[in-house]
Amino acid sequence: MSAVMVVHGGAWAIPHDLAEASVDGVKVAACEGFSVLQRGGSALDAVEAAVRALEDNTVFDAGHGAVLNADGEVELDAIIMDGRTLASGAVSSVNNIANPVSLARAVMEKTAHVLLTSRGANLFAESIGMATVPGDTLVTENERKAWRKNKNFATEVMEDFNCQAHDTVGAVAVDSAGNVACATSTGGIRNKMVGRVGDSSIIGAGGYADNLIGAVSCTGHGESILKVTLARLILSHIEQGKSLADASQLSLQYMGDRVRGAGGAIAVSPSGQWAATFTTERMAWSAVDHDGLWYGLDPNERLKEQWYDHLLPL
Amino acid sequence: MFPVVVVHGGAGQVPKERSEGSSLGVRMAARAGYAILRGGGSSMDAVVEAVSQLENDPFFNAGRGSLLNIKGEVEMDAIVMDGKTLGCGAVSAVLNIANPIRLARLVMDKTSHVCLTAEGANRFARSVGVPEVPPESLVTEYSRMCWAKNLAPGTNRGDSQMSQMGKMGTVGAVAVDRQGNVACATSTGGVANKMEGRVGDTACIGSGGYADNQVGAVSSTGYGEAIMKVNLARLILFHMEQGQSVEAASGLGLAYMESRVGGLGGVVTVDPQGHWAARFSSLQMAWAAAQKDTLHYGMQTGEDFTHSIDDPL
Repeated sequence: MSAVMVVHGGAWAIPHDLAEASVDGVKVAACEGFSVLQRGGSALDAVEAAVRALEDNTVFDAGHGAVLNADGEVELDAIIMDGRTLASGAVSSVNNIANPVSLARAVMEKTAHVLLTSRGANLFAESIGMATVPGDTLVTENERKAWRKNKNFATEVMEDFNCQAHDTVGAVAVDSAGNVACATSTGGIRNKMVGRVGDSSIIGAGGYADNLIGAVSCTGHGESILKVTLARLILSHIEQGKSLADASQLSLQYMGDRVRGAGGAIAVSPSGQWAATFTTERMAWSAVDHDGLWYGLDPNERLKEQWYDHLLPL
Repeated sequence: MFPVVVVHGGAGQVPKERSEGSSLGVRMAARAGYAILRGGGSSMDAVVEAVSQLENDPFFNAGRGSLLNIKGEVEMDAIVMDGKTLGCGAVSAVLNIANPIRLARLVMDKTSHVCLTAEGANRFARSVGVPEVPPESLVTEYSRMCWAKNLAPGTNRGDSQMSQMGKMGTVGAVAVDRQGNVACATSTGGVANKMEGRVGDTACIGSGGYADNQVGAVSSTGYGEAIMKVNLARLILFHMEQGQSVEAASGLGLAYMESRVGGLGGVVTVDPQGHWAARFSSLQMAWAAAQKDTLHYGMQTGEDFTHSIDDPL
């Protein structure tokens, strides 16, 4: 049984000037996660490590580099799920936390609950001694600029949400014991209403993991993903016998047809199959399996990195 | 096809001294929802009306009468979903609002979002003119007593499902109207003595509720964390998509939740053809359904009393 790691860095029309950094970022994160698996670590440990790497990378909208809400502040959502027990932890609307995925894991492991929000989530972080950082330090200068620009052009008309940045990050993995796990983390959409919660902290929407079927992490237009409970929908198609790629494609197509939303998903099965699928213009993704390191950005791209040892953490 | 509304007042263990009030409450709510359907109104209007009444009714763990969090405060979650468009509105950890279900509907109707939480939800309420009520107006003697009892050392503070099975639960409703549109609505104060900011299944689409004109609608109640782990509402609808009846699908979903994650609960389920079910794996669930001018209701497993909708309650 060979381990597999897949990560995504967001499904949207990634512009040229961010493309290279996005692809580099997902490759590094995939290697980070895979090295955990190589050392015999669990799928849960691996997805947390991969998503932490993506949260720390300011090119993605999660943790550091998150977009700002209507008040110009950071509000972060994250989820993690263990396919073996269906245990899950999630946080919504937290600020001042550099790695929400780790806080989500703490919710799962240190409380009797699955989801904590806002002030309660922040209080919990303090209670377990998780370091808080000033919200400002999570925001890049570029994001401040973009936010200001966005505010000046804000109108009452619903924005064309499919053109917005949706660089939620996520990871799925299967370890050598056949356990699957998923994790997803985001700062949400720029200029979202204060307190807006998207799919990334909602179990079955932003992610789902079940050893009996597989694990999925989603990205894209959050409200659409919520309405079709995308992660769970993909897994239901896999349960019905579809391949991971077909299940993902079908579900994303359905999301587009039924609620006009675009997005992407990564999926892994307990037997080590994986897929990275998207209906947006681009999605930065990377996977590591027994065959090597794979990655892509544009539709139908499936590139292989010949030598990637240098990307593995020491 | 006969329009129907099915209402639940929470799955758990309803204390004997409260069972009459709970049973009456769900019957009144079902009747109110049915009046809307009978008049040609929408399933969304029907479920929101039914749940609003249960929120106003101090016998239920929603709105007034909500169980208190560990700090002794009321934090509420609610969700509505429209089966025609898959439109959805939810609020989580909202304070000082008499009818969170109406606020959830406003999130759906007036914003481009699906879920607003905590201070953001309250701010939105202010912006659309939904009044805030004094926090004490939502607290009852019973909820305060439960809170105090759960604080006592030696009692499980919402850690085991037994502790919150001992109290009444979340409220909810599903309906299908004359146009064949289905809808669901669910509202709760959450589990007794929950951590501040704890959000359960009720605000999570696919768990606390789901509605899709192509399949049906479900509203869930019970051990919230377990409902979330199995995405109970969506799971039941997947079974219906595979050809199971409302009754069988609901039973399958609940059985799976019990075997896989050890959770008990209940659901009300409806399909676009007007078939309905009220099923629970917990000891009791106060429920009532109204269809073809007949009121059905029950509390214990196997109960299905009926009388004419116009009979005095």
